[in-house]
Amino acid sequence: MEYLRHKNINVRKIHNKLQQKRNLQLENIRTIEEINEKIRKGDVNVVTAEEMVELVREKGSTIAAKDVDVVTTGTFGAMCSSGAFLNFGHSDPPIKMENLTLNGVNTYHGNAAVDCYLGVTKMHPEKPFEYGGGHVLEDLVSGKEIELEAAGYGTDCYPRKYLKTIITLQDLNQAILCNPRNAYQRYATATNGRDEIIYTYMGKLLPNFGNATFSGSGSLSPLSKDPNYETIGIGTRIFLGGSIGYVIGEGTQHSPTNKFGTIMVKGDLGKMRPEFLKGAAFTRYGTSLYVGLGIPIPILNEGLAKKTGVSDEDLKTNVLDYGIARRDRPVLKETNYAELKSGKIVIDNKEVSVTPLSSIKKAREIAKILKEWIEKTQFFLTAPVDRLPVDTIVKPMKVVSRIPFVNEIMENVVTCNLNDNIDVLAKKIIDNNVNHIAVIDDNDKLLGIITSFDITKAIATGKKGLEEIMTRNVITVYPEESVDICATKLEKYNISALPVVDRSNKLKGIITSEKISSLLGRIGLR
Amino acid sequence: MKVELRFSTERVSEPIISSVILQEKAQINILRAQVSEDGGRVLLEVPDNQADEIIKAFRKLGAEVIVGKIIEIIEDKCIECGHCITLCPVNAIFFEKDYSIGLDEQKCIQCDSCLDACPTRAIKLYGE
Ligand code: SF4
Ligand code: SF4
Repeated sequence: MEYLRHKNINVRKIHNKLQQKRNLQLENIRTIEEINEKIRKGDVNVVTAEEMVELVREKGSTIAAKDVDVVTTGTFGAMCSSGAFLNFGHSDPPIKMENLTLNGVNTYHGNAAVDCYLGVTKMHPEKPFEYGGGHVLEDLVSGKEIELEAAGYGTDCYPRKYLKTIITLQDLNQAILCNPRNAYQRYATATNGRDEIIYTYMGKLLPNFGNATFSGSGSLSPLSKDPNYETIGIGTRIFLGGSIGYVIGEGTQHSPTNKFGTIMVKGDLGKMRPEFLKGAAFTRYGTSLYVGLGIPIPILNEGLAKKTGVSDEDLKTNVLDYGIARRDRPVLKETNYAELKSGKIVIDNKEVSVTPLSSIKKAREIAKILKEWIEKTQFFLTAPVDRLPVDTIVKPMKVVSRIPFVNEIMENVVTCNLNDNIDVLAKKIIDNNVNHIAVIDDNDKLLGIITSFDITKAIATGKKGLEEIMTRNVITVYPEESVDICATKLEKYNISALPVVDRSNKLKGIITSEKISSLLGRIGLR
Repeated sequence: MKVELRFSTERVSEPIISSVILQEKAQINILRAQVSEDGGRVLLEVPDNQADEIIKAFRKLGAEVIVGKIIEIIEDKCIECGHCITLCPVNAIFFEKDYSIGLDEQKCIQCDSCLDACPTRAIKLYGE
């Protein structure tokens, strides 16, 4: 008893000490105004996030907090939720633009007569997956001439019905980069468990975990260095596309409760640099824009020193199988940015080559440039006028008519063994009124497929063994995949059925094209 | 070193490569071969010390021999993301220590795998 009581007191003591330490960490040791004063005087101490990691590792967060005023971060990745508001001024006679293309790329112009929004993923109809909105923005920022073509329906106040002209960025009244969702706090690593190449927004993924890609710059990544958005908020001045930009609110799909925060940003396209805004094309996925973005984080207290000092090892992310095209992709394992940056991760006992899709070198460069701007009195910090939400979640889409998944509609499949003879198969086909028979081994694993046509052909040519007549490289689907995937595969490979197998190639059922057609017909997709 | 041979449709059926191998007693590795209606194209690895003789021998037999650039990463397009690295079967592309992109041109077998993966279309193969 005596011992226990003693222990309790000790526990309380330790607890109190911890609490005190925590309070100390949260106690502000400097303000943003004080930092700006130091910038003005030229004696501010700025380090990049990577330098901060080293400093905290070597000297601890207390000393780092005392020494460092600002930590700069950076990221350079494809950010599909990007685009620009453009205003062209009025022609004479004026036009209310109804269909407007820039270098052939459609813009959104559901605003006033000569305003538009150009989204980076909008593709050129004749150069799909090669040229799109992101490229138009890069061309604009590079000072290139852009062809503008517009049609209007003609009104009493805007009589003109057609217009074709050449513009450059200089000719516009406003060109405001305004990205609804940038700088994801963290992002998953993508790989592909399917037995075919897939082309995704995470790049080209080779079959059977042949490679992997990740996004984000790890310990340089802006939002992961201020994970509770204590200093990043509405009005925070940032590096955007090589110039100055601002955080204007939380990004769409901002999900702070599970540390998937995002920000909405804006900046003047006219001042940006093409090295930090690059059009991108992802084969068979679409176009996008690489955006360079960096945020300075003022070290107001020791807590922030600690958070900005978090290393690549401490930043975790999941490896997901993009081979399964569902909202919630299967998690294969957890990894961290140190492992990812090493270039290799182990998946399924196999060493897999992994690289970012974003650029670590550019991210570093951005953090460095931002540091220089601050040191050279060219960039001052701002206190946010309001905080970003810290308690919201992302809801899935509400869908009223749902598309079924394979395991809900697959049918029983008629099977046989390799040593069955053709007469047995012919009988099975007649008795069960089917067109496909799956060949399986003793453990139900799929070996091949035989159609009624294969049997007819075998009889006509006198072939006897199933090995000779079955198709071995069978295109299959997984039970958790959606019917759309089945439809795509049936069409792509010009086949009439898809055996359903699990991850270990065990046969579960079959999906036939008749079933899919009748189903999609009912949902109204065909 | 790597050399590319091109020959017209009429010569596709002639054993040009074997002849040169026998004649020069050289170990020649065929990295890629392609025959189409415009003739044949073969990418070869030949021993450096015999390269000159081998090239001469091929030319004598009527093949066009292309020596030089195999692949290029166009600097102002490349954003140094590294995606191409994971697609290269022969490690011709790699990260330098500072995350710049390194290219070992002689390793490239022109397999095309990285081409459509590059988000800025910065990779160019020669002889296409
Ligand atoms: S073409 Fe093939 S071998 Fe050459 S660099 Fe690209 S992936 Fe590597
Ligand atoms: S994929 Fe393209 S942009 Fe990325 S590193 Fe390779 S060449 Fe450069």
